[in-house]
Amino acid sequence: MRLALTLCTGLAATSAAAGVEEALTEHILPGYAAFAEKTAELSGETSEDCTPEAVKPAFNAAFDAWTRVGDIRIGPSETGALSVAFWPDSRGFTPRTLNRFISGEEARGTDAEAFAEASIAVRGLFALERMLYGEDLSDYAEGSYACTLVRTIAADLAGQAEALETGWREEFAPVLRSAGAPDNATYLTEEEAVRAIYTQVLTSLEFTADQRLGRPLGTFDRPRPERAEARRSGRPLRNVLRDAQGAVDLAKALADWELPETEAAMSRLREAAAQVSDPAFADLDDPSARLRVEIVQQHVRDVRRSIEEEIGVRLGLRPGFNSSDGD
Amino acid sequence: MTTRRAFLASLLAAGTAPHLGWAAVGDPAYLAAAKLPGGAFALAGIRADGSRAFRVPLPARGHAACAHPSRAEAVGFARRPGRYALVIDCVAGSVRHELSPPEGRQVNGHGAYSADGRLLYTSEQRTEDSRGFIGVWDVGAGYARVGEMETFGTGPHELRLMPDGQSLVVANGGIRTDRWDREKLNIDSMTPNLSYVSLEGDLLEQVELDPELSRNSIRHLALREDGLVGFAMQWQGDTADGWPLLGLHRRGEAPVLCEAPLGDELAMQGYAGSVAFAGDGSEIAITSPRGGRLHRFSDTGAFLGAVSRTDVCGLATHAEGYMASDGLGGVLLVDGQGAHPLSRADAAWDNHLVRIAG
Repeated sequence: MRLALTLCTGLAATSAAAGVEEALTEHILPGYAAFAEKTAELSGETSEDCTPEAVKPAFNAAFDAWTRVGDIRIGPSETGALSVAFWPDSRGFTPRTLNRFISGEEARGTDAEAFAEASIAVRGLFALERMLYGEDLSDYAEGSYACTLVRTIAADLAGQAEALETGWREEFAPVLRSAGAPDNATYLTEEEAVRAIYTQVLTSLEFTADQRLGRPLGTFDRPRPERAEARRSGRPLRNVLRDAQGAVDLAKALADWELPETEAAMSRLREAAAQVSDPAFADLDDPSARLRVEIVQQHVRDVRRSIEEEIGVRLGLRPGFNSSDGD
Repeated sequence: MTTRRAFLASLLAAGTAPHLGWAAVGDPAYLAAAKLPGGAFALAGIRADGSRAFRVPLPARGHAACAHPSRAEAVGFARRPGRYALVIDCVAGSVRHELSPPEGRQVNGHGAYSADGRLLYTSEQRTEDSRGFIGVWDVGAGYARVGEMETFGTGPHELRLMPDGQSLVVANGGIRTDRWDREKLNIDSMTPNLSYVSLEGDLLEQVELDPELSRNSIRHLALREDGLVGFAMQWQGDTADGWPLLGLHRRGEAPVLCEAPLGDELAMQGYAGSVAFAGDGSEIAITSPRGGRLHRFSDTGAFLGAVSRTDVCGLATHAEGYMASDGLGGVLLVDGQGAHPLSRADAAWDNHLVRIAG
């Protein structure tokens, strides 16, 4: 009996549909629900008092909630995530557009509904961060246009979070669940849905290593600490750890077997992160500080490798044939 | 109706041995290269309904193929820059000829037949400096090399015969590559262009984009019967930049860039893999396997929408819209309503889906 049970579990573990339901109900859907809740609170706090010191705690709570699911780029999040978190801003759209809104007191900045049509660079967490923490913008007072703009950004963010939560729960979760059904044009087999979620895990860790860490690291001769994600709010290392944990948790939900290597790699990542001298990465000009952040980057890549070994190899999932090698 | 005289003439034109047409291999509408589950490579013919017409082995992974307008014969190009192209007999499943460019030339992954199928034009670069050339091959003479012309640019990728049958349009990608390892050597100074070249080798017209777009490598082309050219690009800079990846050009006019909303543009990851006009010619699309999506634009450059599909890359014109193929083996019909899966092969479809003329 016991043997039969183990055998069944083993078979279920390697079946093509491994864990799509768990990934949805244990990680993705509660992740967006929590983000919707935290952004609603943020919007509420902001409408009571728009000044930076009053808004910052709720802003950070909302950002924390986002890091659970923020790197997912399928379904409503494929483009929807970019208007929540417009980063990296390589062409400097966010400061330019915010300044244009403020100097011209653009009407769209006072109406959350109209604001939804504004450039994604002026919406979401990073525009808000700039308003709350940017030295050039954060000295606004209650009653000013900037104050109203902060309320508008927060209200729009709450609206986006609600739309993501609803879109996932009502529209896209059913698409993942019905993978392989004749009318499903997104996932032609059950395995494709597993692959899609698995890919989110890997690309999230890749993004953390290459962008969240790689951008500020720059090159040894030219470190670029000013390129760190959410550096104004002092969140760079926090985001690295939370996003990596989010990816690992999604992987654990997807796999209905143990991931000991992955868990161990995640622990080593936390230990390495504890050695980082400045969690905002402002001191990357210092070679020893830089080295500690490079070690963190290596550990993020180790986590990714462990997941490839513990999930990818087991399910026979390889990177996309065309996406990994174009021409 | 084919007269005996015409039949004999066509035999003579085609060389000594008789050559069978595409009907002999099940009337495919498209060609696509694939990687099979065991790791081998193949070239397949696909019908307009997504079913497989034929499949023949390929000795190695190719880049794109081009289809002879009448014979069941395809040229498979080595991955660029490569040393050879293979003429595949799609009936016998064998390699009929191996085309090796002269010393100092590399084939760059694409080619085009003349309208009558007598000549083959191949996109090539000079090994030492990646300067672009068009190799000319005589089909009837067993694909003998009979000449070459300039592309008037660096690192040419796709070339197409213009609908007038009298000129070629070439995507000069602008990238100089190391002769051994494809390392890109000139990203800071690259200047891609779109060049129109007469069959005699004269430059008829050349288009360059604004300097801020100089890192947008022009690589793939789509043609409409009235001469409108769509050119798809691959951004050689930060993928977070979000520049447009598609342009439209008509001879004698300024190019038009097709811009998607910033969020959609960013989701393409700075990379367009294939481009094609829709069957009725009213719109055009590009694919991004990296973004797992397809973008549709009107023929005046307005964004019409996106379709999501994992690892989608192959794209070709279909009477009802577009035919798309992906690395998971899917073949999908895409129209204004979205994607409609037609078939799924146990194979990974490679970069391009090539439409067979006629």
